[in-house]
Amino acid sequence: MSKIAFRIAGISLGAAVAFAVAAPADAQLLTHKDLSVAAATAIAMTAIETCKTQGYNVSAHVLGREGQIVVAIRNPAAGFATFENSMKKAYTARTTRAPSGKFAETVKGNPNAAQFFLTNFVAAQGALPIMVGQDTIGAIGISGAPGGDKDEACAQAGIDKVSAELR
Amino acid sequence: MKKIAFIAGIALTSGLAGSASAQLVAHKDLSVTTAVAIAQTAVQTCKAQGYNVSVHVLGRSGEVLVAMRGDDTGPHTLENSMKKAWTARAQRAPSVNFANAVKTNPTAGALHLTNMVPAQGGLPIMVGEDVIGAVGVSGAPGGDKDEACAKSGIDKVAADLK
Repeated sequence: MSKIAFRIAGISLGAAVAFAVAAPADAQLLTHKDLSVAAATAIAMTAIETCKTQGYNVSAHVLGREGQIVVAIRNPAAGFATFENSMKKAYTARTTRAPSGKFAETVKGNPNAAQFFLTNFVAAQGALPIMVGQDTIGAIGISGAPGGDKDEACAQAGIDKVSAELR
Repeated sequence: MKKIAFIAGIALTSGLAGSASAQLVAHKDLSVTTAVAIAQTAVQTCKAQGYNVSVHVLGRSGEVLVAMRGDDTGPHTLENSMKKAWTARAQRAPSVNFANAVKTNPTAGALHLTNMVPAQGGLPIMVGEDVIGAVGVSGAPGGDKDEACAKSGIDKVAADLK
């Protein structure tokens, strides 16, 4: 290595170290709360059982912060499309940080809403965001009951079951 | 008209006399409760041993019944647990059998099928001699440990598998 190159490398390294040491406050890592598999399973199964008690067979998805599957449960007693639909409802609720029913309301009369060009959006009630304070850490989606309002009620029952842990 | 009625009569007779092989197939299949119990038991058993794992329970046609992502697991474990279960379901045998088979035959045709993986940790779920699904576990440090947790899941519901 030439002397100059060595010197430049040395300066760069020195600068990098100085920057690292003087890192701005906003370079700190993010602190997150995330769903455990136990909490996610409790949410999903409570929703399924609540709907079952009311006479409805439903499938459920609980998605995490990045929309990733934490728990997916197909109910063989429900229609086979319910598995996919519960995922899409949950995805919609997670990404809009709001009940999927609200998105359905928003796009009513707007069949070419831009969101329909994105993957996994669905204009259907039955999913709710899972919140820790103002932070959306995931979502639960339910499909299979005769009406999105009934799906949503079961989703709510699932969240209520673990509400004490959601902090 | 009479002729048509006659033909219809023949058709009806044939229908009634349908051959034995046209009878419907009777199946036992996993319920949502059973499938979730298997998956959750597998997760908890491994957790108690200090391992975080992801689990898939697949049904008779390889369809996903339960997918469960363990706490702090590697992102590949959910996929891997599915593939182990798929392998066990497809071959009606523990996925370790396939892993052993390809050791001596690295060009096994089944390696070119989707979702087949030569890795231990998947077990078929049986009702007698009938394979009704499979459970796959991934995340423990060793396929034998994954398989032990899969086994605990099946054992949990053994009484219902009939």
